[in-house]
Amino acid sequence: MKYIFCLLFLIGSISTIAEKDQMHVMHGHTHEGHLHDTMIDGKLLEVNPDRFDNFVSGLTESQVAIISVNGMVCDFCARGIEKTFKKDKFIIKIDVDLAGGKVLIAYSNNKKIDFEDIQKKILSNGQNATALQIIDL
Amino acid sequence: MGIKFVIISFLFIAALHLESRPISYSGGSTVMMQTDALRDSMYYHYSPTYKFAVGIQAVKDKYFNSDYSYFRFTYLLNRKNAPHSQRNLYLQSGISSNGFDNYFYGIHGDWETRRWFTGFGYKKTETNKLNFLEQYLQIGVAPYIGEYGDLHTWVMLKSKNNSITGDWNTYPVLKFFKGNALLEFGYSDSTKLDVHIMYRF
Repeated sequence: MKYIFCLLFLIGSISTIAEKDQMHVMHGHTHEGHLHDTMIDGKLLEVNPDRFDNFVSGLTESQVAIISVNGMVCDFCARGIEKTFKKDKFIIKIDVDLAGGKVLIAYSNNKKIDFEDIQKKILSNGQNATALQIIDL
Repeated sequence: MGIKFVIISFLFIAALHLESRPISYSGGSTVMMQTDALRDSMYYHYSPTYKFAVGIQAVKDKYFNSDYSYFRFTYLLNRKNAPHSQRNLYLQSGISSNGFDNYFYGIHGDWETRRWFTGFGYKKTETNKLNFLEQYLQIGVAPYIGEYGDLHTWVMLKSKNNSITGDWNTYPVLKFFKGNALLEFGYSDSTKLDVHIMYRF
């Protein structure tokens, strides 16, 4: 029994270190060698630029919300987020970036994006929305 | 002793399977099916909010050739969401269709990242014939990190103990999930192969 607890503690410690490494790598990848890392207004793009390019491909006259989500650690956890947002008729498309902890939502231009409403919807799935970036296309 | 050991071990393993994702998102439903040499069961639960789930579990006991149900309630006591991890603590309970003096209650928790999983559980079951405690520890690793929508795989190790036998039994579990479906295979010396299927909608 003692050995099992020691093993669990060890795994928890390793995982925490691995998590920090992962965050560092993601940061380096996101902000290195991509011309549009920095938006025209000087703000940093808060999602992997390649992923963003794929997502907005074919989209016009719309706005993209990039939502940072805490606790979105598995595919199963994110299913409810996609289902909840898909009920909104102003939403054109959704993408979940598990590695970056982001949800990308393309809204039609006539929708006023409300971060409080987004936070409520994310919370109804059991996670927390911590930040929002809106990009007009 | 032998028969009791097999039955209690089976009940314990069955309970462990049902701990996976015990509460859905608000308005979400989950169906779980399990079959093995000793019994078949089907469990449906509905989550009005992400905080709790209510459900019914129908059991066909092959060993005693009897049918009964559990009315179950699961409550999320505590959750910590971090950028790359989530920690949960759940309260679980159930009352049997055999009467109010047949019930269980317990607590279980987990901590997971996209790579690692650890969990524990403690449960007390009281019946007309037998009262017993169960506890387990579980660790798991994802051999690869899949993207959203991919097939995800977990390799796990569960170690369990009950108050009847007093022994710890450790066995491997393979878990696969894709989209809204989950498939799990576990193997132990006492119950051999058993299969668990879950679908969320």
